Formats: sequence, structure tokens, C-alpha cells
Amino acid sequence: MLPVAHVGHYLWVLYLLPVAIVVAGIVKTTRAQRREGEED
Amino acid sequence: MISLPVAHALASRQDLPIPAWLFAWAASIVLIASFFALSAAWRKPQFEDERERPFGERLSATLTSLPVQALCGAIGVFLLGVAIYAGLRGTEAPDRNFALTFLFVTCWLGFPFFSAIFGDIFRPFNPWRAVGRAAGGAFRAIAGERAAHLDYPEWLGRWPAAIGLLATVWLEVVYGASGGVAVGLAPHAAAVAALFYSGYTLAMMAVFGTEEWCERGEIFSVYFGMFGRLGIFGSRDGRLYRRRPFSAVTSWATIPGSAALVIASIASTSFDGAQEGAFKAGIENTFEWLIERGVEPTASLRLTDTIFMALTFAGVALVYTLGVRGMRTVPGAPSFKKLRTGFAHTLVPIALAYLVAHYFSLFFFQEQAQFTYILSDPLGTGHTDLFGTANNIVDYKILTANMIWYVQVAALVVGHVIGLMLAHDRALVYWPDYKKATASQYWMLAVMVAFTCFGLYLLSVANG
Repeated sequence: MLPVAHVGHYLWVLYLLPVAIVVAGIVKTTRAQRREGEED
Repeated sequence: MISLPVAHALASRQDLPIPAWLFAWAASIVLIASFFALSAAWRKPQFEDERERPFGERLSATLTSLPVQALCGAIGVFLLGVAIYAGLRGTEAPDRNFALTFLFVTCWLGFPFFSAIFGDIFRPFNPWRAVGRAAGGAFRAIAGERAAHLDYPEWLGRWPAAIGLLATVWLEVVYGASGGVAVGLAPHAAAVAALFYSGYTLAMMAVFGTEEWCERGEIFSVYFGMFGRLGIFGSRDGRLYRRRPFSAVTSWATIPGSAALVIASIASTSFDGAQEGAFKAGIENTFEWLIERGVEPTASLRLTDTIFMALTFAGVALVYTLGVRGMRTVPGAPSFKKLRTGFAHTLVPIALAYLVAHYFSLFFFQEQAQFTYILSDPLGTGHTDLFGTANNIVDYKILTANMIWYVQVAALVVGHVIGLMLAHDRALVYWPDYKKATASQYWMLAVMVAFTCFGLYLLSVANG
């Protein structure tokens, strides 16, 4: 049997994921822009 | 037992077509899309100028005339007096006593909701301002000169209001709840608190001047006035005017302590929503830990709630600070202090969105009680029926659980999109190059997505 009885306790992860994705996207974009600025 | 509906009063459990967490994803996508739309199409600041359109001179003069002001002030004083009297002399059942519903639902929630549309509507009805002005007028008539006041310290700014806001919420949800009351204080305690606050406010007005204290230190004037800056009507030099919505809020946060006030608003609403849901396990564990160490139960509960409330404030402040720190990485950025102050107003629509999302159902249900059986029997003793509505009941079926959830989601999304819009607009002031302005707002986008998902998580747990 899968231990899913307490899966509800970890639902917050699903709310955190969009924030993590946005932050990761921002970090990546900021680094790329900084690199471009240094090359120019 | 108290039968007031809890903050997220529901008629039944939700029956949503998709899981609640998917709404957080959808809301995040809306915010990201709005961000890119703003970046592409919004290249000049739009909100720095209020674009005032004055009312006709006659209408303005009538609405701001002394008799109208005196009447509004007298209504405010009368209602405060009724609330205090009902609290002191009425029933101890909070759902039947005028004091609790009037102070903590009609005023505490009603003024922010309606001020955000119409402007600062509390100001003319502010009972303490009315008494302060009347006392000032009487002094002038007797002494033949204006009363002398101390200069209000510039550094103190809105800090008394920010601390007072937290104290008010603490009184309702921490001190009141510790007494076994589901919503807020016992009516008697609310009345005593109102009397104490009245004394304190009038003393401060005597020291610093009525208008000065209302502008910076009086909790309710500052708090309701903050939401009033979002509204479409304003006044200046005795003249009323219509303005572009949201434009007046751009100049709101220039006074020290303003950021703390709006953060306190978001944090206190979040804590109130989370204490019965997202924070429940943590609160229970901390409470038991304190009990095991011999702390008395009521003190343990109050201490635990106070710790979690402080942590919520710190968490909200940290997220905002990270957003501001992120902006500092963009070339040409102003100082951290300037950015922190300059973007604080962008949190005001978020504070409103949190209020609407968490309390609109409570407001909706409890106002039915207010305008029916409570108004007919303000003391709740069962002996009076002033308007023949003392036996009416609240219709909880008027809002379904799904309806409440959709309003909550819509409020959070709209509030955060407006926040993004204001932030983008302000960024164009600091970085006239729109590319840099857009880059500076990446981190504010993260802040907005974080607040949206956090808000939806709190609501989903509380509703679940």
C-alpha cells in the first residue's frame, strides 16, 4: 500500500512550486543579462 | 457558546471542478502574463499625477460645510457611544451585542471596503476627530487663540498607527480568542478597550493637534485612510474632487512607518486566516511545549499566538525586503531606503485583497445580523424590538462555498495585478529606460506571486 494518509500535509509544496519556478526564471534571466552586459 | 460565523464562513464544503492548488498555478500565470503585458505596453508613468477633476463649487461647499461636518461627526460620536454603552450594559453573547459586530465587522471591515472605492469616508465620521475639533473650537472661542501643540516628531511618522494596528488585531484575535471566544473579544472588554483608546487618542490630539494626530498616529484614520487612497474621491483645501483610481496611493508611503503599517495589515490578516488552518499544528505544538514547561494555559495560548503573529509579520516583511533587494541589482537603482519607501504603496491593494478574501463572507453574513436583529435589539437582552426585526435570522445559504472561493481567488488575483501595475509605474519613475524598469520588476513579480500563492494556500486550508 502507498503511504498516502498524510499526503494532505504536503499540499503546500504545490503552492510553493509556482513561486520557485518564477524565482528560478528570474535568477536565470538576471544572470544571462549580467553576462551580456559584461560581454558588451 | 458563540454563533458568529468564523472568518471564512461557509455554507457548505466546496465542490470545485479542479483542485484548489491549481487556482494558485492559474493565478500565477495571470500575474506573469500581466507582467509581460505591462512591460510591452506601459512605457510611461501614469499614476504619478492624480488628474483631479474638482466637484462643482456649490456641491463642494455644501458637502464640506460646517453643519454637514458637524452632523457627520455627531453621527460618529453617537454610534461610538451606543457601541460602548451596548458593550458595557448589553449581553455578553457577542453575536447578539451591537458593540462587537459594529466595531469589528461594520467599521473594521466596512470602512476599508468602501474607502477603497469612494476615498476616505471615515474622516468625516471619525468620532475622535469630531470631539477634538469641537474641543479646539471651544478653546479658541474661550481663550481667543488657537491651542498650542507640540511639533510631531518627523521620525515617528506612522509608527504609532502601525504598532496600534497590530495591537488592535492582537486584542481581537489573540487576547479575545484566549478567553475561549471564537471571534474577538467579549463585548464588555471591547467597550473598555474603546473607552481606553478614546482617552488615549484625545490626549494625543491635545498634545500634537487633532489633524496632525489623525494624519499620522490615530490608528483608524491612518488605516482606513490608507485604503481611501485607492478610491476615486478626495479633498484638498476644502474642495472635493474626483481623481484617477489608485493614483493618490502613489504619494501615500512617503511618511516613515508607512511600509510597516501596510505590512502589518497583510500580516495580521494572514495570521488570522492561518491560525485555524495553516499554522494550527505549529501553534498546537508550541502551546503544548509551553504547557509542559509549566506555563499557565491561557498565558501559553496568548504567548504562542503572539509568537506566530510576530513571525507572520517578520515573514511578510522579509518577502517584501527581498523584492526590494532584488531591485537594487539593476544598474541605476536608487538607495535601498528609497526603494523600500518608494514601493510600499504597491502593497496597499494586496492588503485590501487579503481583507476581501479573508473576511468578505463574514462581512456579508454578519451585516445581515447588524441590519436586522442587532439593530432592533442593540443590547441583545431580548427585551426590545425597535424596528420589528429582532427575530430575523442570518441567511447563510445566500452564498455558496464555491461562490466564496471564486470571490476569494478573484480578489487576490485582481489585488496583485493592481500591485504589479503600481510597481511597474513607479519603476518607470526610477528607471526611465523601460527595459531597466522591467528588469527591476522581476523581483516584485516574485513577491506578488509569493503573496498570491500564500494567500490561496491559507484560504484553501482554512476552507478545507
